[in-house]
Amino acid sequence: MRTTMKKMTCRALIVSLLALSFTTAKAGMIGADQVAAGSPASQRTMVLSVLNRADTAAQLQAQGIDPTLARERVASMSDQEVQALAQDMQTAPAGASLDAAGWLAVVVVAGLIWYFAMRR
Amino acid sequence: MTGRAPRARWAARLGSALIVATLAGCAQLVPQTIALRTGWPKGVPQTVELRNVPFFPQKEYECGPAALATVLASSGVAVTPDPLVKEVYLPARHGSLQLEMLAAARRYGRVSYQLAPRYDDLLRELAAGNPVVVLQEIGLFPGLPDWHYAVVNGFDYPSGTVYLRSGTDPRQKMPFTYFERTWMKSNYWAMVATPPDRIPATATEDGWLRALIAFSRTEQGEPLTRGYEAALRRWPDNVAAAVGLANQYHAHGAIAQSVKVLRQAHERHPDSVVVLNNLAQALSDEGRQHEALALIDKIGNRPTPFAAQVNSTRQLILQRLAQQKTGSR
Repeated sequence: MRTTMKKMTCRALIVSLLALSFTTAKAGMIGADQVAAGSPASQRTMVLSVLNRADTAAQLQAQGIDPTLARERVASMSDQEVQALAQDMQTAPAGASLDAAGWLAVVVVAGLIWYFAMRR
Repeated sequence: MTGRAPRARWAARLGSALIVATLAGCAQLVPQTIALRTGWPKGVPQTVELRNVPFFPQKEYECGPAALATVLASSGVAVTPDPLVKEVYLPARHGSLQLEMLAAARRYGRVSYQLAPRYDDLLRELAAGNPVVVLQEIGLFPGLPDWHYAVVNGFDYPSGTVYLRSGTDPRQKMPFTYFERTWMKSNYWAMVATPPDRIPATATEDGWLRALIAFSRTEQGEPLTRGYEAALRRWPDNVAAAVGLANQYHAHGAIAQSVKVLRQAHERHPDSVVVLNNLAQALSDEGRQHEALALIDKIGNRPTPFAAQVNSTRQLILQRLAQQKTGSR
């Protein structure tokens, strides 16, 4: 389990490093993103951004997403979004309905309450 | 007999205290619905229903893709929930994350904008014709949260009804109060997705520029250019919009247009190092090396985080000047 996890993370890292594009300006033009940030994207922040992206992509993969898709999904997020997602992927609410296990738990709890309340 | 009057007074006091507590409780329960009573947003009609918003009944846990497809299709994108499933759905979580909802809309040429967590803003977007994706918590049991994405496509304030395209219900009606209860648990999370040149009614200058810059990660073509054009028209003083637009022109070979935008920006912001640098670069690309050099030298030695870029632009101009001289000899 751990080795597959590691393998997947490595794969995500490699793919991300190779293919994630930096949107820095071309030909001496400073980009609008840097105006908004108020400072140029240093190499340090770029590396951190790549690592964050790889990390987030790996987390997406761990949640059942195909590696290339995970990379694409992360690619269209801004740096702040990637950071936020990397931090709270596990806790962020995901829009979904109760799954089968959830309903089973509800039924069991209701059954127990009924049983103990009605037993006498 | 003597005890009676004080007792009545006590009862009255207790009663009023209870009423105050209950009112406070109500305000706590649905603070924004209460606030609407005294402060209805200006210019918003009391009844709006966007009937043209399409409806995609959701399959199992896929309320995220269905809601996203609803707003995308409503803004003119030909899309159904099915292809969106692999873009926003997380199998292990049986659901979709908010950030992924925002990111996915960008891949369909729409700028996603997260609304401020206010009923007012939700109503104003609807009045402006934009259906809104909201995240609700509709669990029946405390401790077992049940998160759900739906699309609000209208409201009728006199009857206190919010209209939603939700789950398998094409026209769900929910009281303002109950809707707020389900919505507040996601901290009033709401988003719209609009074409890049259609700025949402409640968008703030900073917020919209941030949204456009995030959009530029996946889209660098003509739609992005239109987005920056619209943003600059709305906020002519915004440096980021001017720089973004000029860079778009520049990247697509329209150097003269790029110069024009930057000159206007330079007039408004004579001290902006980024504008000076980019204008010098664009002028140099147009072949006007002397003018470019004069501009870049205006920056001089003033401390700036962009010193490295400024310096390399200057070197490039000097290099081109030297080439010109040897070329003309």
